[in-house]
Amino acid sequence: MKKKLKNFIFTELIYHEDPASFGEDANLLEAGLDSMGIMRLIMYAEQEFDVTLPDTEIEPDNVKSLNALEKWIRHACQSQ
Amino acid sequence: MLLEPFLRQCRHQPEAIALVEDGRSLTYGQLLAQSQAIAAGLQEMGVKPGLPVAIHLERGIDAAIALFGVLFAGACYVPLDLKNPPPRLAFIVNDAQAQAVLGLGAAPTWLDKGEWLDIETCPEALPLPIDIQAASLAAILYTSGSSGKPRGVALSHGAVAAFAQWAADLVGLQANDRIASSTPFFFDLSTFDLYAVLGRGASLHFLPSALNMAPARLSVWLKERAISGWYTVPSLLAFLSYKGNLAQTPLESLRFLFFAGEVFPSPALINLAANLPRTTLYNFFGPTETNVCCYWPVKRAQLAADKPIPIGLPAAACELRIHAETGELWVRGPSLASGYWGSGRLQLFPNQDGWYATGDRVSQINGEYHFHGRLGRMLKCSGYRVEPAEIEASVNAMAGVRDCAVAGVEDPATGQRPALALVLEPHLTSADIRNALALLFPPYMQPKHCIALEELPRLANGKLDYQRIHGLLNRKP
Repeated sequence: MKKKLKNFIFTELIYHEDPASFGEDANLLEAGLDSMGIMRLIMYAEQEFDVTLPDTEIEPDNVKSLNALEKWIRHACQSQ
Repeated sequence: MLLEPFLRQCRHQPEAIALVEDGRSLTYGQLLAQSQAIAAGLQEMGVKPGLPVAIHLERGIDAAIALFGVLFAGACYVPLDLKNPPPRLAFIVNDAQAQAVLGLGAAPTWLDKGEWLDIETCPEALPLPIDIQAASLAAILYTSGSSGKPRGVALSHGAVAAFAQWAADLVGLQANDRIASSTPFFFDLSTFDLYAVLGRGASLHFLPSALNMAPARLSVWLKERAISGWYTVPSLLAFLSYKGNLAQTPLESLRFLFFAGEVFPSPALINLAANLPRTTLYNFFGPTETNVCCYWPVKRAQLAADKPIPIGLPAAACELRIHAETGELWVRGPSLASGYWGSGRLQLFPNQDGWYATGDRVSQINGEYHFHGRLGRMLKCSGYRVEPAEIEASVNAMAGVRDCAVAGVEDPATGQRPALALVLEPHLTSADIRNALALLFPPYMQPKHCIALEELPRLANGKLDYQRIHGLLNRKP
């Protein structure tokens, strides 16, 4: 899941000179992920992982890193 | 004339709330007193009327005080986009020949300290009265320039006042309105927030930036603040509509929404209209040079997912015409900018009987205007204007670059993104160029991807073949 998310983020949403070196806890928001990027990321994740991510859980804390994203999306998958 | 409606409110209701930000608010009387103190401080520094003063502050109460301070000193303000790397900020301050830079605390390291004024150090004082004419400049908004450098669109007091009054009348703005503000002051959308809203005695509520990323909390904020109107961009409204939990958070106080800056995709607008059944929606259109020249009150029955929405009818007493051969929209009217500001002086638009050629391709169907894209090469990325020529000029200036060209690629998140075709000396890679660009331009100007070529495609006459370059850059990897 993390690999798919990372691939989507760095090919579609933000530029990074070396995505391979971008850590799983590194801050995506500081790297340039903005509100439009978050919206696209959520729509991608909902489709790719067949899950509905609740509106009220869309928060900077849940999208700030690859680890945070994975934890959030896995949690949503389990509770559905 | 731009300041008169605001000053009238300051006299009539000095105790009324003008600005609200997080836990802080300011009355009309306080806003007036604090901005007059800054005006007096600027005059003491020797700032002359009619010339620019830059503002190095994020949008919010402090920036609003600073900007009214500049106007009360008779000068015009240049709001800086602090997301720009220092070299671009320094270029803008130098190019504008700003007499002073207003901010908080210590001066940024890239700035000559003599120009810096910390707004908190200005003691209460009244500025000397300045005679301001309709043609006096009020604001210079820097955008990407087709000549290869950023350039400032110079707005006069008369032009901003014409738009503000028109927009306030359109929705009957009143003192009991509570308007949300989310646009940085370097975008022309902010002229509504500052002059229409404060000219009618309403209160302006600065949206906390973090809520752009938390749509459900954004809707709660709009509801709890009982926001009655908001002028913002389609992308944020689409996020709010799709993910803002509006079914559980009905926005009953919200009586109008204006949107501009990018095309609102019809499916997203249909979704928004369904979620906000009682809110009147307006599509505003116009380059910064015209402010708003066209508007369309959204007719819900006319919306269809596969049909782009019109840009509508002439706004703010503008006259419109379509160039017969090119289909270009030409605009004439009171809200037009005066010209471009560069190298410390105003260059008027070419004199064409007052007409300004927008570079936008339009048509007219059943009396309503429709937008069909740009004639030139300008891109719209996350609502920002990006001129490919500005990126090309910087790349061509780098050692080891033999040739380069920039074209737009479609991007579902940002509308468009620049992409870069390069011809490099053998010791360089495109990563070297990208790393250098990261230091020169803000994120929205960074290329989505780069391709290295042996040579750039050219036409028979030797000019770059942008059509083929566009094709190469848009080819799926």
